[in-house]
Amino acid sequence: MHKVWAVIRREFVERVRTKWFWVSAILGPVLFAGIIVFQIVQSMGGAVRNVAVVDSTTGGLGNRVLDALSASGSFRATLVPAGPAVIDSLKDEVEAKHLNGFLIVSNDLVETGRAEYQASNLGMQTIENLQRTLGRLVVKERLEQKGVNPGVVDWAQIRITLDQKKCGRAGCVAESAAQSFFVAYLMAILLFMAILLYGVNVMSSVLEEKTTRIVEVVVSSVRPFQLMLGKIFGAGSVSFFQFVIWGVSARVLLLLRGPIARALGADPAAAQTMVLPHIPASTLAVFIAFFLGGFLLYSAMFAAVGAMSSNEQEARQAQQPVTYLLMISYLSILGLTNDPNSTFARTLSLVPFTTPIATPVRWTAGSMPTWELVMSLVILAIAIVGVTWVASRIYRVGILMTGKRPNLKELVRWVRTA
Amino acid sequence: MADPVIVDRVTKRFAGHTAVEALSLSVPSGIIYGLLGPNGAGKTTTLRMIMDIYEPDSGTVRLFDQVGGGRTNSARIGYLPEERGLYPRMRVLDVLVFLAEAKGVSRRSARAKAIEWLERLGLSDWRMRKVSDLSKGMQQKVQFISTVLHDPDLVILDEPFSGLDPVNSQVLRDTVVDYRRRGKTVLFSTHIMEHAEKLCDRLCIIARGKKLIDGTLAEVKGTHGGKHVIVAFDGNQGNARQIFADRRLVAKIQDFGQQAELELAPGADAQEVLKALVDSGARLARFELASPSLHKIFVDLVGPEAATAAATGGGNGGSRA
Repeated sequence: MHKVWAVIRREFVERVRTKWFWVSAILGPVLFAGIIVFQIVQSMGGAVRNVAVVDSTTGGLGNRVLDALSASGSFRATLVPAGPAVIDSLKDEVEAKHLNGFLIVSNDLVETGRAEYQASNLGMQTIENLQRTLGRLVVKERLEQKGVNPGVVDWAQIRITLDQKKCGRAGCVAESAAQSFFVAYLMAILLFMAILLYGVNVMSSVLEEKTTRIVEVVVSSVRPFQLMLGKIFGAGSVSFFQFVIWGVSARVLLLLRGPIARALGADPAAAQTMVLPHIPASTLAVFIAFFLGGFLLYSAMFAAVGAMSSNEQEARQAQQPVTYLLMISYLSILGLTNDPNSTFARTLSLVPFTTPIATPVRWTAGSMPTWELVMSLVILAIAIVGVTWVASRIYRVGILMTGKRPNLKELVRWVRTA
Repeated sequence: MADPVIVDRVTKRFAGHTAVEALSLSVPSGIIYGLLGPNGAGKTTTLRMIMDIYEPDSGTVRLFDQVGGGRTNSARIGYLPEERGLYPRMRVLDVLVFLAEAKGVSRRSARAKAIEWLERLGLSDWRMRKVSDLSKGMQQKVQFISTVLHDPDLVILDEPFSGLDPVNSQVLRDTVVDYRRRGKTVLFSTHIMEHAEKLCDRLCIIARGKKLIDGTLAEVKGTHGGKHVIVAFDGNQGNARQIFADRRLVAKIQDFGQQAELELAPGADAQEVLKALVDSGARLARFELASPSLHKIFVDLVGPEAATAAATGGGNGGSRA
């Protein structure tokens, strides 16, 4: 056991000492901070816009447009009577950033539903707000012209609010479809990246020992199986450490949202209400369990690939089948999240090579029955034992082998005779 | 106490050929034991089986009177494989500590001993540097330290002199001799007979996976009887070749050009040969009655085609040190 610890520690320390580890450790929080800042800036962008309404209407329609815009809360509007050179002077105003834009309305607004908006920046949010506000006003105007009671019109236009809740094992929680999709998607990508990156790390570490020939000295004191396990757990703990760094810094950044918003000149309260997807503890547990399982499964395969290759190029070729296996589940993420209970999704979560990604996605995206989860875990566990057994036999023979890469027939012989 | 290394009828087959066949040998305590053979004879395979890196297909290895090979006893064994290497990106001290820990030495004592050894071999200033920053000679020293750092009772060296520069070669020879003086056991393989002849107390010659002869140096030379003469020329060789070819006088010859080792024919007298040579007009620098050299015995045993490989240093990437 002492020997395995020595291998794990070496693997961990040597990897954490590399600059790549720290580059990616820092890149995570930087990216996350970027997202927070982006969201705050967005919320500022969604704030009140200064617009001018160029009015050539009759019968006080311009004033009602002005009222409707102000009432929407998204605009601070001023009325400008239409006239020669008005447009040009407004353009200057927009250029000088005194105005966000200006709206040109005429009686056509009610008759044919046409108006014009000119701005330095045509934000989607702004356009949508304008269209909605003008739309409601126009409907009201038209109905009133036909003699409908204004009260009835207002009542008829009360919007429907759909309360979205996601129901699962722990009852129902308010969560939008977008959020739940987002969490599942993010999880799948994290799993895919982590398993691939750290699995490849195991491979290159095996390859390094093989090409530098140090492996012979090491296996004269440590059993090849112990060495392989030590490598896998060493690389695994590095990736876990990486996740911890990311998780803690994300938490800290979230707590600092208020101060960040203030520093950017936004309303801190606005930043606090930023939508955060709800991740229950059970989801986190499933994520961790399947990450560990998937990592063990794939890194054993990557270790075998490293052991059967004698240089980087060979390894890059030989790793492709393993990478493709992982890619299958990555490419199925959309299908999985759209219909987590389809036959396709159920199959993927029961196949050992796709379950590390498919099952957490299904679990997050929809209500996967607990028994199916347990079954996935059992299948994964059996596969880990089997794959590790085969991989360790390939590993044992491969690390001392030089020369050309074995073909499939030779590999089978290695496994049978090792 | 039983011998520290007892190999009993081990056989190892690889796809298509038998690397080692029913090989038995036993290394007594406190001596230097040489495992000799041409390239491809099965030396490395034998040592790897002793070290538990390969499992024999049949037969057993006993180390320190226990069944089981080198791995279970790794704390008592220092092993230097033929193909050497270190982690190029690790610091020198860290590599040494790790390799000792892998043998079961505690971290603290591994560190202390590594520092002591680095000092002894003049590498103190390099201990925090990466292995890849070291010259090849320095890396050889580090490799060597890793073999003996834990003060093993048994040292197993596979072609230890191949690729060593003269300075390190001397360091290694001194240490090997020092080990024997302290009552430890050294087992090493080589295909260079001069090394074996100078160092070994006992030896075993193998070829094509089989043992040809073993015993003390004197025994091996004794069983290989016959009168031997070493002849060296000083320029003019006269009709020496003709005399060497005379089967009534000379049974076998190892011709090195300016020097030759003769095995006299049964009943032939060395004086006769000397007279014939002088009469032929050859100028002699040396004429010496000798016991056969190990090289001669080796060549006689394994045959001339293997001898060529051995004499030129072979294809093991090794050069003479």
